[in-house]
Amino acid sequence: MSILIASQVLNGLATGMLYALVGVGLTLVLGMLNIPNFAHGVLYAFGAYFAHSIIKLSGSFYLALLAAPLLVVVMGFVIESQGIRRLYTAHHDYQLLFLFALALILQETIILVWGPVGFSVLPPKLLAGTVNLGFVIYPAYRLALIVVTILVTVALWLFLSRTNVGAIVRAGMENREMVAVLGTDINRVFLWTFGLGAYLAGLAGALATPILGLTPTMGGDMLPISFVIVVIAGLGSILGAIASGILIGIAQSLTSTWWPEASNIAIYALMGLVIVLRPQGLFGTR
Amino acid sequence: MARLFNLPTLLVIIALGIGLPFIQRPVVAAEVLTLGIAAVATNVLLGYTGMLSFGQAMFFGFGAYCAGILATKYGVSAFAAIPAAVFATAVLALLVGLVCVRRSGLYFIMITFAFNQMLYFLAYSWTTMTGGEDGLPGVRRPALIADQWSFYIFTAVLFLLSLVVIKRFVDSPAGRILQAIRDNPARAAATGHDVGRYKLIAFVVAGLFTGLAGAIFAFVFEIVPIDRIHWLFSGDIVFMTLIGGSGSFIGPVIGAAFYTWLQETVSHYWDRWPMVLGVVLALVVLFFRTGIAGMVVTLTRGLRRRTFVAKKLEARQ
Amino acid sequence: MSAALEVRDVSKHFQGVKAVNGVSLAVDQGALHSIIGPNGAGKTTLFNCITGEYAPTAGEVSFEGKRISGRRPYQLPAFGVSRSFQRTSIFSNLTVAENVWVSAFRKHAGKRIEVFRGADSHPEVHATIEQTLGEVGLARYASQPATALAHGDQRLLDFAIALAPKPRLLLLDEPTAGLSRADTQRVVQLIEELKGRYTIVLIEHKMDVVMRISDRITVMYFGEILAEGTPDEIRANAKVREAYLGRRA
Repeated sequence: MSILIASQVLNGLATGMLYALVGVGLTLVLGMLNIPNFAHGVLYAFGAYFAHSIIKLSGSFYLALLAAPLLVVVMGFVIESQGIRRLYTAHHDYQLLFLFALALILQETIILVWGPVGFSVLPPKLLAGTVNLGFVIYPAYRLALIVVTILVTVALWLFLSRTNVGAIVRAGMENREMVAVLGTDINRVFLWTFGLGAYLAGLAGALATPILGLTPTMGGDMLPISFVIVVIAGLGSILGAIASGILIGIAQSLTSTWWPEASNIAIYALMGLVIVLRPQGLFGTR
Repeated sequence: MARLFNLPTLLVIIALGIGLPFIQRPVVAAEVLTLGIAAVATNVLLGYTGMLSFGQAMFFGFGAYCAGILATKYGVSAFAAIPAAVFATAVLALLVGLVCVRRSGLYFIMITFAFNQMLYFLAYSWTTMTGGEDGLPGVRRPALIADQWSFYIFTAVLFLLSLVVIKRFVDSPAGRILQAIRDNPARAAATGHDVGRYKLIAFVVAGLFTGLAGAIFAFVFEIVPIDRIHWLFSGDIVFMTLIGGSGSFIGPVIGAAFYTWLQETVSHYWDRWPMVLGVVLALVVLFFRTGIAGMVVTLTRGLRRRTFVAKKLEARQ
Repeated sequence: MSAALEVRDVSKHFQGVKAVNGVSLAVDQGALHSIIGPNGAGKTTLFNCITGEYAPTAGEVSFEGKRISGRRPYQLPAFGVSRSFQRTSIFSNLTVAENVWVSAFRKHAGKRIEVFRGADSHPEVHATIEQTLGEVGLARYASQPATALAHGDQRLLDFAIALAPKPRLLLLDEPTAGLSRADTQRVVQLIEELKGRYTIVLIEHKMDVVMRISDRITVMYFGEILAEGTPDEIRANAKVREAYLGRRA
C-alpha cells in the first residue's frame, strides 16, 4: 500500500513539476501583460509537437529537448512583437481576445500540419527502464524528469533573483510603467519575458511527451490547469506557482488512485477552497 | 414597444425573427435565436458592465443539461423543465458570482474560466446523468410544439420576451449604473453605489438568461452535446457578442446569426472552420472593434443617442 | 460649537513609513479649509483617510458627529460627503447629463436598486441635474458625450457630479491641477460661489488660489502638521516659509 502511495506521489511530483514549469511561465507573462495569456496552452502543445517532429527527423530525443523549446521561443517573439505589441494601447480585453483568437488558429494549425489523431512518444533508450529507489521501483524517465525540472527551476530562480536582468524582469512584472520611466527599453524586456514564458511552456510540452503523449487539444486541456495554478498560488508569486503546481500534480495523482472520475475535478475543488478560504492565494501578496 | 427598441433594432428583430426560418431550416433558425439570447445576455456583462467572462458556456450548458435531464430522466415537459432549469442556473450564477465578482478582472476571468472547466469535467464524468462525452440524447419536445414550425414560434416568443426584459433592465437605473461602473468603477463607488453588488446582479442576469438559452437549446436538436459546456464555447459566445457589436443592444444577435452562418457555410467546405473563426476574431480585435453593428452605425452616421433629460434641457436653451 | 468635520489624531502607516502621523484638524460648518504642503507631506494620504480609500492606522475622522473613517468609499455619500478627483474622473461613454445623473440618482433613490422603470423617468432627478449643470455652467452641453467637452469643462463636470447630491461636506482634491489660467479662474469662481453653502476641504498647490479663498489653512510637512491658521497667519509664519523655500529664505 505504501509502495502504491509512494509511486503515486512520485508520479504526482513528475506531472506537478511539468505543471510548475507551465505555471511559472504563465506567471511571468501575467505580471507583465496583466492579462492571462490564452495562447500559453497552445505554446505548450507546440513544444510537444516540435519535439515529436525533431525526434522523427533526427532520432534524438535529447536534440528535441534542446531545440523544440527554442522554436517555441521564436513563436513567442513573433507573437509579442507582431501581435500583442500592436494592442498595448488598447484595452486589456482586446489583448486577451487576440491571444484567444491566436490559440484557436494555432490549435487548428496543429491539426493541419500533424493531423487530428494524437501520437505517443517513447522515452530515450537510456531512460527507458526503471530504477530501484529502495522503497519503490520507479520509471527512470519520470525520475530524470523530476531532476531536470528541478534543475531548470533552480536556474530560473537564480536568474530572477540574482542577476540584473532578472531583477528587471521581476520589476517589469510588478510595475511596467516604472521600468519604462527608468530608462530601460521596455519593449526588449517584454519581448524577452514573453520569450522566457514561451520557453518554459515549450520545454514542459517537450518533456511531457513520453508521459502524457500528444493530442491536438493538449494545449486547450493544459490552459485551465495553468490558470488554477496561478489562482491557487496567488498573483505574482513564482515560488507559489512552483509549489502549487506540485501540489496540484500530487493531488491529482492521489485522487486518481482512489476516485478516478474525480481526479480532474479535484483540481478545481482545490481552487474553490483556496478562493474562499484564502482569496489572495496561498503565496499571494497582491 | 416603440420606446423600448429604436427603429433599427426593431427592424433587425423583425427581419431575423421572420426571415430566418425561411433562409435556414426552422430548427437552425431556432438555434440562432437561442444563441442570440445568450449573446445579448453575455453583453450585459461585457458591453454594459465591462466584465469579460470566458465562463458563459457553464450557464448555457448547465441550463441545457438541467432541462435535458428533467425531460429525459424524469419525464418533465419542456414547459416546466425550462423554467426549472432557469431557476437552477440563476442559483448557480449567484453562487459563482459571490465568489468571483468582486475580484479584479484578471482573477475574474481565470476563476470563471476554471469553474466552467470544472462543470465540463462534471458533465464528462457523471455519465449516468449526462451521457458523458457522447452528450444527452432523447430530449423530446412536448406534443404541442413538436413540429419544426411550432417549435420555432415557441422559441421566437421566448426570444422576444427575453429581449424585452433585458432591454428594460439595461435601460433601468441599474443598467445605467452598470455602464457607469464600466466607464469608471472608482467614481461610481465614490458617488455612493455598491459596485460589487451591481456587478453581482449583472452576473446573475447574464447567467440566468444564458441558462434560458441553453434550456431551450436542449430541445432544438433534442440533444445536449457536451461541447456546449466546454470553455471553447464560452469563447464562441464572446465572439458572437464582439463581432455583432458589444456597443449596441442588438449587435450580439447579429453576431449570433453571423457565427451560425459562418459555421454552417465554412464547415461544409473545410473541417478546420474554427481557424476561420480565429482569424475573423483577430481581425475584429485589431481593426473592427465596434463589430458589425458599429460599422453599420458609422456608415449610416447621424444616429446620435439623446436622452430624455438632455432633450428637455436643450429645448430650454 | 463643535466643528462639522473633525479629524482626531489620525495616523497612517505603510509598513514602517509614517505617511501621516498624529494629525488633527477641525473644520466649522460652511468654512473652506485648505490643506497644503510640499510634495510627500502626506496631504493626499490624509485626504484618502477621510474619503475612505484608506482606513487610518490610528485616530478617527467624524462628520456631524458620526464616524466616517474606516468606511468604504461608496458609503460616504450617505453621510452627506462628496469628493472630486485630482485627475478628472468622469464616465466617458455617458452624456454630460447622464454623468450627473449617476450621483443625483443615488441621492434620490438611496440604496434602492431599481431595475424596472426607465433611468430617465424620475422628474426630481431631472430637476437636480438641470440645476446642477446650470450652477457649473454646462447646461448647454447636457446631451453631448462627456468626452466631447474641453479639458476645463470636463473638470467642471467632475465637480458637477460631486455637487449634484447636495452634499454637506465637499472634498476637493487639487481642483485646479493641470488647468490653464483661464480654466483655473472658472474653477476658483465656482468654489467661491459654493463657499458658505457647503463645508469644503481642499488640497491645493497653487498658493495664490489658496490664500484667496481659504478661511483656514493647515500646512503639512513630513506627515505632521507644521502650522495652522488663517491665510494671513500662515503667510507670516517663518516655519512655513522655511519648509517651502528652504532656510534663510
